[in-house]
Amino acid sequence: MRIVTTRRMSQTFFFALFLWFCIVATVGEEFRQIRGWPVNWFLQLDPLAAIGTILTEHSLYYPLLWAAATLILTIIFGRFFCSWVCPFGSLHNFVSWLGNRRKPTAQKIELNKYRKAQRIKYFVLVFFLAMAAFPSIAATLQTGLLDPIPFVTRSFNLVLLPIFDKPANIASASDRFYEGAWLIFAIFLTAILLNLVIPRFYCRFVCPLGALFGVIGRFAVWRIGKNQSECINCRMCEKSCEGGCEPTQNIKISECVLCFNCRQDCKHGVISYQMRPSLAGEVTDPDISRRGFALSVAGGILAVPAIRLTGTLGDNWYHKVIRPPGALPEEQFLKRCIKCGQCMRICPTNVIQPGSFAGGLENLWTPVLNNRIGSSGCQLNCVACGQICPTAAIRPITLAEKLGRDEFEKAGPIKIGTAFVDRNRCLPWAMGKPCIVCEENCPVSPKAIYTQEYFDIIRDGAMIVESAGASRITFVEKDLLPGELATGDYYCLIEGGQRLKVVANTEGSVEVSSGDKPMKEPAAGSRIEIQIRLQRPYVDIEKCIGCGVCEHECPVSGKKAIRVSAEGETRSSKRRLLLDS
Amino acid sequence: MNNPEQRQSGRREFLARTAKAGLAVAAVGAASYLLYDPAVPTPAEDAGRLVTLPDFSVPAVPAKAMSIVTGAERTRTVDKAIELLGGIERFVKPGETVAIKPNVAFASPPALGATTNPDLVGEVVRLCYKAGARKVIIADNPINDAASCFALSGVDAAARRTGAQVLLPTDSMFKYTTLEGGKLIRNWQVFFEPFIKADKLIGIAPVKDHQRAGASMTIKNWYGLLGGRRNIFHQDINTIIAELSMMVRPTLVILDGTEVMVTNGPTGGSVSDLKRANTMIASCDQVAADAYGCTLLGLKPSDLPYLAKAQQAGSGKIDYESLKPKLTAIS
Amino acid sequence: MRAKPGQPNQRESVISFGLLGLLFLIGLWIFTAQFNFDMGRFGMSVPVDEVSAAKQGITGKETAALESFAPAGFEASSGVETYTAENLYEKIDGKADFYLDSGFRKLFTRRFKDRNDDALWFEVYLYDMASNRGAFSVFSVQRRPEAVASGVLEPIYTYRTANALYCMNGHYYIELVGSVESEPLFGAIMETRDNLRKNLPVDMVTEITELKLFPAASLVPESFKLYLSDVFGFEKLTNTFTARYKADDEIITAFFSRRPDAQDARNIAQAYHSFLLESGCTDKATTNEALKNLKASVIDSYGATEIIFVTGPFVAGVHEAQNQSAAQKLVEMLADSLLVAAGQKK
Repeated sequence: MRIVTTRRMSQTFFFALFLWFCIVATVGEEFRQIRGWPVNWFLQLDPLAAIGTILTEHSLYYPLLWAAATLILTIIFGRFFCSWVCPFGSLHNFVSWLGNRRKPTAQKIELNKYRKAQRIKYFVLVFFLAMAAFPSIAATLQTGLLDPIPFVTRSFNLVLLPIFDKPANIASASDRFYEGAWLIFAIFLTAILLNLVIPRFYCRFVCPLGALFGVIGRFAVWRIGKNQSECINCRMCEKSCEGGCEPTQNIKISECVLCFNCRQDCKHGVISYQMRPSLAGEVTDPDISRRGFALSVAGGILAVPAIRLTGTLGDNWYHKVIRPPGALPEEQFLKRCIKCGQCMRICPTNVIQPGSFAGGLENLWTPVLNNRIGSSGCQLNCVACGQICPTAAIRPITLAEKLGRDEFEKAGPIKIGTAFVDRNRCLPWAMGKPCIVCEENCPVSPKAIYTQEYFDIIRDGAMIVESAGASRITFVEKDLLPGELATGDYYCLIEGGQRLKVVANTEGSVEVSSGDKPMKEPAAGSRIEIQIRLQRPYVDIEKCIGCGVCEHECPVSGKKAIRVSAEGETRSSKRRLLLDS
Repeated sequence: MNNPEQRQSGRREFLARTAKAGLAVAAVGAASYLLYDPAVPTPAEDAGRLVTLPDFSVPAVPAKAMSIVTGAERTRTVDKAIELLGGIERFVKPGETVAIKPNVAFASPPALGATTNPDLVGEVVRLCYKAGARKVIIADNPINDAASCFALSGVDAAARRTGAQVLLPTDSMFKYTTLEGGKLIRNWQVFFEPFIKADKLIGIAPVKDHQRAGASMTIKNWYGLLGGRRNIFHQDINTIIAELSMMVRPTLVILDGTEVMVTNGPTGGSVSDLKRANTMIASCDQVAADAYGCTLLGLKPSDLPYLAKAQQAGSGKIDYESLKPKLTAIS
Repeated sequence: MRAKPGQPNQRESVISFGLLGLLFLIGLWIFTAQFNFDMGRFGMSVPVDEVSAAKQGITGKETAALESFAPAGFEASSGVETYTAENLYEKIDGKADFYLDSGFRKLFTRRFKDRNDDALWFEVYLYDMASNRGAFSVFSVQRRPEAVASGVLEPIYTYRTANALYCMNGHYYIELVGSVESEPLFGAIMETRDNLRKNLPVDMVTEITELKLFPAASLVPESFKLYLSDVFGFEKLTNTFTARYKADDEIITAFFSRRPDAQDARNIAQAYHSFLLESGCTDKATTNEALKNLKASVIDSYGATEIIFVTGPFVAGVHEAQNQSAAQKLVEMLADSLLVAAGQKK
């Protein structure tokens, strides 16, 4: 069994596993649903997530302990992760192979030569780590933007899976929608297609995780190298070299991804995985200069205050950034979110969406609720997002904490925002049309939306009485539509103040019922108003938790007449609407 | 091909590299261990996520609310005192987790009596395990550096000797609480972690003179649970102590009057600050315990305004006689 | 060790297989890990009223009982549906009020169908009525006239029609309704019922002890009913058992209701009496000694006879009998029986 064959099997295994984890990340008990599948395993193995959160939060969140295993194995063996485990790497490997397999050997060798641009990934790494590292100057976790594991998780969860699952709906109960997924797709596609230009483009030039492995793999006990100095320099070893590390001469250990292709391709047994350094020389350190390093650090440190000049963490916070229940306060949240998209994937109502630049640069691809999308706003009895977040940017809260039950009864339920009735668009407020859909759907008990009765004169509703008798009033005007007032919402207000319910109508008369009291028949010639009974919704901001069901159900389907915005969210004391009692 | 020199330098290089790799592995291991956080992050501004300390008290048994045992040896007097209240089995059931809050406020040696005596703590831990407790946690949020306080006061050694776990406070172990009916404890950080896991709570405090409060005994002992800049409460010390009695409802309090700090409290500093009173008090009513304990300092309950406030808040009775405390002497 | 170039050497193979073994172990670990789950932490499997449900003693065992079994040759063709007081009407529409008034807590339903024949299926309705009296009430009041009691266990608490089996078990009222009349289908129904009896967490006996108080002579078998409210149209009369008796060419209905105490029984009896008089009935005189001793009221109810009497804490009587003398005899027997019961208890 060749080692290269084993490696390919390993890549297949981990890629299939990754794909399976993406598919099953949906709430439910069946085999194809989440059950106990460790769907975050790849994210937990990712040392960039662990190191990033250590830098921003000064502690290692316990599920990320897996990263220590990856780091230790890398220290001992080298950059095995890139060629044996990383699902993104496997994808790049595959596409590169597809694109390059028919090329002549000489061209392949040329494509795999080491390029100075391979330094860029180290600058990317340092830049991101600097952004995370310095409290009070910098401290935001943006590694998730280019870290391959969140990158590929995001791309599959939010783009590929929704597309391919559409006909069968196996991975999700219904079609999924994700705002701004086009950008994720475009970047993903670009990364994939660039493999046709230079093999494993992303891995060689961009990947900060690969850079991290390159840096710590310097002391590897075993490394690829020449085991004899007599070599005819046919350069066959570089024909399929995946890392672009040039094993022929002065192999660059930090670029070697342990694909072992060189060892297999060498017809003379010159290349081996050995303890001694390559007899043709090796370079262990990444090819970055001190100057480059310093510039990256400086860039990273300055980038954060530059980004934050928009004030989005202060008074200029964006009200539409409604975070899932259990999310940490914003500044802390941004120190932990790796933008993996798991919360968006598992949310059963599809309400969690990847954030846009609108809330600031740091908002990109962080979870933001959009109540118009999906099946129902934030479902009351669900805490799935917190349970799946790999870094606890959304805390794994219990249902009791979310709903304010048991030991959290005094604390009350978690609010993610407050609903505001837009009285200019709401049907009973502005259009004179009855509607109480928001009140009906409010899931909390007692309801956070209540209505108040209001009678409004309808258009052309001022009438003059021609005659009245028994339960019928006839008007001078004869331009009603027969039956239009018979819905049970219409009333006649007669002079003297009595309001009678309209039961039926013809073009020029109405039949009324007055309930218990008899009708005080209006005199001929007196004025009558035909009114419509409206129930106008009010939001009780003490009870509203901002779940967004009302917004979702509002029949004014474009710009909703009741909209949730983040004021009143419990995770932030500054954004309170009410004075604390 | 390979001459001995090359081989040797190769070997040296290999060894150096392997050593570095080993160090790197060790560094990763050490970093993981030191930074490991088994808890879920606490929201930095915890407004709204208020918690309430659970009520740890056990059902009252008439005439078994308080016991006073005189004797010279702490371990024996505390055994007797608890026995008189029905035995440790009344308070600790098998499989339970017990949190013990001693006074470990200072990095002060046991001989100076500023902290709870470690032998006493050890004995109570032993009793808890005897009753079948699954785990005993010892926790306090000291004024000085926590690790040194636990070490120098001897409580840490006592814990290790008896199998209890010392919980040193870290930021993530604090939560915000508001005391219902409280004026001062509002949205205040409290050392909450020991309580999440605990089924029972035992407070153990020495009798000490206190410059500000008059005396520091079982109720003042809970001051150690407050976080943040708690010294601000010294401005209204009697109210805060009364509120502590409302906030914390322990299973049992043990007041150690074996060697009482009669002057220069609460830190003392000299053995001459201590006077032997050879008294151990165990009580389900912390107000009553303090009311009796202050007599060991030569005070009357009326000398301690916080007692009246606590009684008014319903935390207990000053008139300890009404509880019919059991008195015994051990030779 | 250098092998022939291009050929894997032994060490390479060993390492390769070792690594594949590691992959296998990883796969195994992941596979076993997924069995270990608690859906409760996602929140969604916990119903809104879980807290109060737990307080009411609803354990989720009903769902388990329905999920654990399918009769031979049958498979479940639906999941377990659960209905609470709020949405019961979604399943049984107008009947919901009756159940709600009788102490209804929850309804669990599931359908099973024949593996080979889609047309052959049945649905189980498992009503948790909170008490055996509630269950008996909805069971007995809805007893179909074509009920066949033979061939079923505990005929008082079980009956079948051509396509369905109805029974009660402790505080549960169970209906197993088949899609067609079919003996094989009914066999599956019986099997399911037996299984439910074994697996339902019943903390109340099925037996209703009051039924024994009805005298046995001439009793129409299994004719007991329990009305919980608005008995005979009178709102104050509640918790009343009725049974039917053969009398010559007529069937007469006897009834009794145990009240908290004798005074209450007298009050109710009087109130019922007044109610009947207000509705246009008239008092009748009687010469029957026994009735006179009982101080029973005999009322002419538009040609039929209504007799009401009180014994101890019981208010009892005969309802709308045509044959007065038969009614009177029945009253005597009933009074004897109730007297014994009243004497034995306070």
